[in-house]
Amino acid sequence: MPSIHRRDFLAASAAFGGLGLSGLPAFAQNAPRRGGTLRVSVDQAVSKLNPLVTRVNPEYLVAELLYSGLTRLNPDMSAEPDLAESWTNSADLTEWTFALRKGLTFHDGSACTAADVVATFEAILDAKTASPARQNVGPIAKVAARDDSTVVFTLSAPFADLPVTLAYTNAKIVPAAVIKGGLEKLDRQAVGTGPFKLVSFEPERQIVVARNEAYYDKARPYLDKVEVVVFPDVSAEASALIAGDTDLISTTPPTEFGRLQKASGVKALRVPSGQFCNVNFGCDQKPFNDVRVRQALALTVDRAAMVDFVTEGFGSIGNDTPLSPAYRFFAELPAKKVDIAKAKALLAEAGYPKGLEATLIASDRPGQRTQLAVALREMAKPAGFDIKVETMPHATYLDQVWKKGSFYVGFYNMQATADAIFSLLYTSNAAWNETRWNNTAFDKLIFEARATVDETKRRALYAQAQKLMYDEVPSIIPAFFDLLGGQRDWVQGYQLHPRGAVFRLDFVSLGANAPKRG
Amino acid sequence: MSPAYILKRILLIGYTLLVVSLIVFAITQILPADAAVMMLGENATPDALAALRVKMGLNDSIWLQYLHWLAGVLHGDFGLSMRTGQPVAPAMFEALGRSLLLALFSIVLMLVLAIPLGIIAAVRRGRAVDLGVSFLSYVGVSLPEFVTATLVVLVLADWLQWLPATGYVPLTEDPLRGLRHLVLPVLTVSLILIAHVSRMVRSELVDVLHSDYIRAARLKGLSKRQVLFKHALRNALLPTITIVALDVGYLLGGVIVVEEIFALPGIGRQLIVAIQARDLPSIQAGALILATTYAVANFLADIAYAWLDRRIQYD
Repeated sequence: MPSIHRRDFLAASAAFGGLGLSGLPAFAQNAPRRGGTLRVSVDQAVSKLNPLVTRVNPEYLVAELLYSGLTRLNPDMSAEPDLAESWTNSADLTEWTFALRKGLTFHDGSACTAADVVATFEAILDAKTASPARQNVGPIAKVAARDDSTVVFTLSAPFADLPVTLAYTNAKIVPAAVIKGGLEKLDRQAVGTGPFKLVSFEPERQIVVARNEAYYDKARPYLDKVEVVVFPDVSAEASALIAGDTDLISTTPPTEFGRLQKASGVKALRVPSGQFCNVNFGCDQKPFNDVRVRQALALTVDRAAMVDFVTEGFGSIGNDTPLSPAYRFFAELPAKKVDIAKAKALLAEAGYPKGLEATLIASDRPGQRTQLAVALREMAKPAGFDIKVETMPHATYLDQVWKKGSFYVGFYNMQATADAIFSLLYTSNAAWNETRWNNTAFDKLIFEARATVDETKRRALYAQAQKLMYDEVPSIIPAFFDLLGGQRDWVQGYQLHPRGAVFRLDFVSLGANAPKRG
Repeated sequence: MSPAYILKRILLIGYTLLVVSLIVFAITQILPADAAVMMLGENATPDALAALRVKMGLNDSIWLQYLHWLAGVLHGDFGLSMRTGQPVAPAMFEALGRSLLLALFSIVLMLVLAIPLGIIAAVRRGRAVDLGVSFLSYVGVSLPEFVTATLVVLVLADWLQWLPATGYVPLTEDPLRGLRHLVLPVLTVSLILIAHVSRMVRSELVDVLHSDYIRAARLKGLSKRQVLFKHALRNALLPTITIVALDVGYLLGGVIVVEEIFALPGIGRQLIVAIQARDLPSIQAGALILATTYAVANFLADIAYAWLDRRIQYD
């Protein structure tokens, strides 16, 4: 039966992929109309305007309108040129050279050159800036400008993913002069090279941007104006789209998705993603330092039921590896099945013939964490696990449990590359080594893959790494979430991005039937 | 009411605010996680945390932090928000302005509807009108705001599509659109207030209408109407003033759910966001503003009491 689920899922994802692409041929036939105002809603305030320190999706959305990176992320997770026109790498993958477009200008009219790129990356790598990009742009040792339009990255280790990691949400280019004068300036103003310029900024209510006439692409953006409106209540947000007050919802929960599907004139959007909720084990502490205990618990998990319960049916099963089919290097493994007898035997072998007590901690945000914890408690009971679920406010969790606890529920967004998610969470030197799995064989595979250009060889290495996690279960990953959103049918050229943090609104245009706005 | 009394009351308000600021500050110290942790969230590295704490002055002793803050406030400087890096005062006062707008419209609508409803129900006690008003006000009082708000949106925005579902537009930007966006939140809040106040007016008026002096007035030969409006209502409205004064506080700080649903970034929501981010200067400013409005509203209620009932003397 699980194999049927898998096929169902693949068929479904193919269908969705097709749906997503169906916009493109139409797009090619009749050129996108220029002009109009798009009203897009987000569910959280946009507190941070400085692109180096944005933290949540609505902030990424705004930063993407105002700023550009060297590269940007395609919906298939590959890198495409942004400010950089092209790039080359040395054979050993430790030196990358990026050629910038000519004649780039910031919104204030000043030229954007290699010096600005160098200054930006130096600021990102400086701990004092506290930019999330610092741990995510790759092993950069040195950035230098060869001439006005050539930037050379020298790496501390061979790294094949640099063009993709440079598309990181926070790796946006800002003027060297602003960095010198103090980044505080960017708290209220935007001096970027992005497709739109800032018109007004009210963090809790509305951010308005207008077309940047000096944008490097003469055709884009198609829209004259974008209004980003903040709706902290998700059902009110859906109501606004249904009523036609807004044109686009960047992300919405399953409850509202149902309403959007039923509304006329509204297209509900859905894309499989690599976002997941998991159960982290402290692999360096009793009882979870014993691989048999982790395997036993994993054997109690009914993954199809988890998809129904935790993702409310809007997701796909996981096999305890963090790569979903939305990742380029996903390797298909047999779907894990429930086997209570085997789980009991493993527990007994590990020295717990009478079962095991443990307290599973879940933060209250998002709510799926608690759902996962409660479901696991019930599923694991028959095998002799006596799990107590403890929920706590997110702030308390971040302060006291996260990265410290030995049995808690995690929640992670999809990353751009396999390497990014593995080295964020599972290698011995991971930025958030939450499981303390510290498996040298795994580390070696990831390290080797990072330095391999050959696609087939790389795929084989990542497949081995996934198999290792599948067998040793440093964390239980029972399900992946689909991302959900919605748009009016007059919105053209928009595609939900599996990464969640990427929006590409400069490709969006409005059909002839769109309402006229300001 | 002597000027000395008024001065004394104002000084007392100042003292209350000082105590409030101390208590709020103390409570924020007990909360787990500080502003630096909340701001960096899952990107926190020890060196980034350390750098941010130095920048925010979180490494200073608690008393020093409080005194710094107090000194700033006495100079009219509420500090910079730890979350946005922007001055706290303008953001908070803007939010207060939006809340006041909601409060003002809601109170006016409430006064226009609740007092007549209460009077009618009291005069026609036990009849169909009274039962109808009582039933509706029971429903109004017992329905939580999020239910009322969602129902109002569902009917007036989703089904009938008469009004925009949610969102806030400043009156200065587009008065007509601004008013249209205000209708639903005002309706939601005033439904609750009307239920509240009409019940109050009714029960007070029923009591008063049974008192001896009303009977005396009737026996003296005054018409029903004269007795009702000249004698009974004046006394029956006194407790209502207290309720309205408390409701002002509720309208400013307690309608967070309504502010969330209608995306109306008022002071209540601003305060919640500040608390979640452990944004100390914003929490302090928000708490002070709310405490001030409660204190001032009560003060005004006392003055109104004295004005309506000359037997009341303050000294």
